[in-house]
Amino acid sequence: MTALSASSPPAAQPVPTLRERLRRLRRSYLFKVVIQGLITILAVMTLTFFMIRQMPGNPFQVRIEDLMTRQGLTYEEAYRAAASIFNFDPDRPALLQFGDYIGDLLQGDLGMSITKTGTPVAELILRYLPWTLFSIGLSVLISFTLGTTLGLSIGYWRGSWFDNVVTTLASIISGIPDYIIALLIILIFGVQLEWFKIGQVRGGVDPTITPALSLEYIGSILQYAFMPMLIYTLSSIGTWILAMKSSTISTLGEDYIAVAQARGLPQRRILSAYVGRNAMLPLITRLAINVGFIVGGSVIIEEMFQYPGLGRNLYLAITGRDYTVMQGIFLVITVAVVASNILADLVIVWLDPRVRLDKGEEA
Amino acid sequence: MSLDMNKVVLSVRDLSVSYQARRGRVRAVSRVSFDLHAGETLALIGESGCGKSTLNLALIRQLPKNASIDSGSIAYTYRDGRTINLLDFDKTAMRRYLWSECSMVFQGALNSLNPVLRVSDLVYETAAAHGIGRLEALTRALTLFEQVRLDAKRVFNSYPHEMSGGMRQRVLLALSLLLRPQIVIMDEPTTAVDILTQRSILDVLKQLRAELNFSVIFISHDLAVAAEIADTVATMYAGEIVEIGPVNDVFYRSRHAYTLSLLNAAPRLSAGAETLESIPGSPPDLIEPPPGCKFHERCAYVQPICRTTPPPMVAYDSGAGRAACHETARVLADARQKV
Repeated sequence: MTALSASSPPAAQPVPTLRERLRRLRRSYLFKVVIQGLITILAVMTLTFFMIRQMPGNPFQVRIEDLMTRQGLTYEEAYRAAASIFNFDPDRPALLQFGDYIGDLLQGDLGMSITKTGTPVAELILRYLPWTLFSIGLSVLISFTLGTTLGLSIGYWRGSWFDNVVTTLASIISGIPDYIIALLIILIFGVQLEWFKIGQVRGGVDPTITPALSLEYIGSILQYAFMPMLIYTLSSIGTWILAMKSSTISTLGEDYIAVAQARGLPQRRILSAYVGRNAMLPLITRLAINVGFIVGGSVIIEEMFQYPGLGRNLYLAITGRDYTVMQGIFLVITVAVVASNILADLVIVWLDPRVRLDKGEEA
Repeated sequence: MSLDMNKVVLSVRDLSVSYQARRGRVRAVSRVSFDLHAGETLALIGESGCGKSTLNLALIRQLPKNASIDSGSIAYTYRDGRTINLLDFDKTAMRRYLWSECSMVFQGALNSLNPVLRVSDLVYETAAAHGIGRLEALTRALTLFEQVRLDAKRVFNSYPHEMSGGMRQRVLLALSLLLRPQIVIMDEPTTAVDILTQRSILDVLKQLRAELNFSVIFISHDLAVAAEIADTVATMYAGEIVEIGPVNDVFYRSRHAYTLSLLNAAPRLSAGAETLESIPGSPPDLIEPPPGCKFHERCAYVQPICRTTPPPMVAYDSGAGRAACHETARVLADARQKV
């Protein structure tokens, strides 16, 4: 691009004082949203901390009942057994527990798992997060790219048979919950047609293969991730298609599209720089909100396929009332959602020159 | 002004356009014929819904999907003398023709520019689409921006939202001349801007036209603007050109009852407190147009023959102008009296 620098040289600016700098920092967009984000995270953390303790039962009772029913122990025996494993005192006031939690958190410590004695929560999260990030992240990417491309095409050529077919399919599929899609796939392709063995799609990787950066290991990971990924993609693509279609149609009504056509621009250019780029803007925010889903994982799908991700772990933590693990996972999800929203704002600014971050701050 | 009246750039014959509506076919433009000469400015005047905009979209073949050109021809003569019928063009040929031979300044400049692209991108992509290099495009654009009295370098690097409405309209005007077309169609280019901006745009347009010698098809509701800028004026009513001729003939020696009514309905400062005359009724249904002269239901000069027989186009002054009215003599007498 040919640079055309402004004709006037930049005026020499006086060196800002410390107070001036602080004032600027306070006014800056990033500072503001980071503070807002921290407040949000703190609020969600506090709420989850007390709300999960309102659920019936606590990890201690769950374990005692488990020991009583499974090993036939008396209540006293079970109580003693449980007390010996857990370093958790259910009778300690919740407010004091909260104080301990915040204190540890400030030191970067997420605490120890209650039910899996001796395992730090952070370690659990780090072990399972990559599986979820990989499977859901890739699916969201695929379904967003494919969905917006399809939505753009059917919006551009609306009324064609292609549009009718895709819109009908997208409407149907966006109305079905993911676990129903999963069940249908298992029933139709697994049970009826026997395209795959149901037992072989459960888990994250073939346990007989030694973990290494080998083709075999990676292939196995992909093979096991295929089914959950297919379901994530199918369950979210319909929404992307329909959202992009409506956004495309409203963009097509803009005057600048007619002007671009009258200028004799190639169709390719109009589709990408004119229709696509403008229609995409409202969808960026939706994508950011989806990031929470990426991190949290789909609890039901991961449990169905025994996929070793964060979602399945959250499920296990909830059934076992493992407060610290639940807190840890919810915290990670909250941070991811807040961060991705800030990121979405920055991306929008980059894509849409009309949006200014410091809107209303300057006179 | 150097009017090379011998060279016809655009020759439209019997052009008819209709829209498919639920109730039937809307005959939005019917049997329109006119010639546009090199350097000539033709103003199209008429009420909303008379088919002006449809006619213009047909001239660049950018009609909506539910519209079709039913008959007629649009003959365009290139600078090298080749003449083609636009209706024979395929999509690719049409794309190349657009903007490089005939460009268009749309109404509503506020939305005519892509909000996410800089003016420089608009210039480069327009040039690239028609095989003009970046350096050439840059030089031409900067010259044109200066000619339309813009701060060329600043505007070149601006986004649309950083400019005022008047600036955007001038950017569009400059952009429309980037590929040096022979024809520029202007669809109410001054309606969305204030009176001072309108004044400056008209001045710029007149100056550019004198320098670059292109032809203009100018659509306007504003008769004063049309009178100022046009060489030729065509009055449209219910999809037809009912009168066309040199600007002074049409405005001061109107030969069609509708033209005269339209002029009487325009406010004039000199008229003082006189009440404005309006035309009773509204334009006819174009799905089932009335028989005879389409204007007869609203016409003050109506005669029995107007209700049954469509008036033929009659040329006057050895072909300088034409009008289709049964009562030309009475209308002309009233128009002369008025001046």
